[in-house]
Amino acid sequence: MGTSQGNARRRRESWAAALFIGPDLIGLVVFVLLPILFAVYVSFFGWNLISPMKFIGLANYRRLATDSDWWLSMGRTLQFAFIYVPVLFAISLGLAVAFTKLTGRTSAGLRSAYLLPFAVTSVIASTLWMFLYQEKTGYLNAFLNLLGIPDQPFIGSPAQAMVSVVVVVLWINLGYTSMLFFSAIRQIPASLLEAARLDGANGWKTFWGITFPLIRPTSVFVVVTSTIASFQILDIILVMTRGGPANATQVGVLYIYKRSFDQLQMGYGSALSVVMFVILLVISLIQLRFTRRNNLEG
Amino acid sequence: MNKVRSWIIGILLALGAIAVIVPIGVLFLSSFKTKASVFVISLAPDTFTIHSIVQALTPGLLHALLNSLIVSTAVTVVAMFLHAMAGYALARFDFPFKRATFVVILGSLMIPMTSILVPLYMVVRLMNMTNTMAGLIVPLLFNAYGIFLFRQFYFDFPKELEEAAELDGSGRFGTFLRIVLPLSRPVIVPLTVAFFLGTWNNYLWPLVVNQDKRFETVQVYLANQISGYNTPWNVVIASAAISVIPVFVLFFFLQRQLREGISTTGIK
Repeated sequence: MGTSQGNARRRRESWAAALFIGPDLIGLVVFVLLPILFAVYVSFFGWNLISPMKFIGLANYRRLATDSDWWLSMGRTLQFAFIYVPVLFAISLGLAVAFTKLTGRTSAGLRSAYLLPFAVTSVIASTLWMFLYQEKTGYLNAFLNLLGIPDQPFIGSPAQAMVSVVVVVLWINLGYTSMLFFSAIRQIPASLLEAARLDGANGWKTFWGITFPLIRPTSVFVVVTSTIASFQILDIILVMTRGGPANATQVGVLYIYKRSFDQLQMGYGSALSVVMFVILLVISLIQLRFTRRNNLEG
Repeated sequence: MNKVRSWIIGILLALGAIAVIVPIGVLFLSSFKTKASVFVISLAPDTFTIHSIVQALTPGLLHALLNSLIVSTAVTVVAMFLHAMAGYALARFDFPFKRATFVVILGSLMIPMTSILVPLYMVVRLMNMTNTMAGLIVPLLFNAYGIFLFRQFYFDFPKELEEAAELDGSGRFGTFLRIVLPLSRPVIVPLTVAFFLGTWNNYLWPLVVNQDKRFETVQVYLANQISGYNTPWNVVIASAAISVIPVFVLFFFLQRQLREGISTTGIK
């Protein structure tokens, strides 16, 4: 094959590639990357969407550094993550291990059952749980009364609201996360587990000695993605509590949402978005580092 | 001994499953109750009525369901085409700036929608796309996960089929459309479920980008009903139950593929 022919072929392939990948690439740049750059730009301005933008330098960033409401909201986000991530991890790993102890059809049926809430949308899940959480008349309180426990306010009280919201998010995601663990455990070679049993290791020892170390990539994935999800939790809170009562569930992203869309402080909202974005980027990079190391080890 | 243990595990798991499913049961059973009986825990059939469901089936709900169906279908179909093509190009073609292209895609993979909600709204507003169907659909198309999964799939795709088609005089696009795409079912099915459910369930983006009643999606409709304070609970619950049915139908038909999809791809 002559060089000119090879060049022509390569050129044709480049054109084809441009055609195939162009639309997606343009879309990603315009609707994912451009917004971030635009947010950085707008964060140096005061802007309410209506009157012209006014350059104010770093004022938005100085403001957020001393904005106690913002830091309080980030505290709520951390509170959510500290409850949600460990509980999700422990229960879904426990479920996954239990699934592997059962035989085919029973296991598959139960897995589908736990996965069912995943098909319920977050708005419907919020609606449904608000209904269940109703004070005095709600089903959950009726159930507690049966057990001799008095009525609880749930999302109606600052003390219980956050946990009540976490329960809803757990309810939605438990089945899905346990599926991730389940398929990771199933990929462990049976010979390894058999060898451990022949060595006299009991179930508990086998789990901590073999299963848990071998599913580490999945564990890291679950911890990081559920942490990122904790920082992003907005729709359910928006429907169930709108941050209340007494700001008990006002998480970081909700604060950004309110500043931007309720009060039309787009400049300040952009600065907050940039900060939130950097936090999430750092978490993602940590994940990337961990998974790289795992790939090298594996 | 082992048999006893697996029975105990089975029973505990079943009890947990019941606890997980009961709220969904409550959702559907409560739709058959009245305003007065909706808070009464009872399975007695004499309290059953379709009154609440009839009340919930307003033109507003039906219109919102239709809008959600249009938006979700449009996003799913177009996204499948775009991502399959992009993934195919990344797996098969050699072209300049391939690495840079890949880095852009990898970068956008790490950016969840909520974190760019405010700036995305500003960009879409600059493009005069707020309060339009396009504004509801177009920004939801671009999802790097789809590209990655297609790319992975096409790495393992046998080249011989394409070469044969090209010898028959088929162009690259023709080959892709006639040979490659129809054989991509294993990756298209789980991604279709993921995109359709993801878009159907999306509340934040339609809430932010659209204030026009004509384009209201079902999630926004439901959320408005709750915050409206004057809608009785029996109607709210019945509307929620109605709007979850399309998703459940999809879920039941594709649950095996969905389970396998999660195992093999890790996607939602």
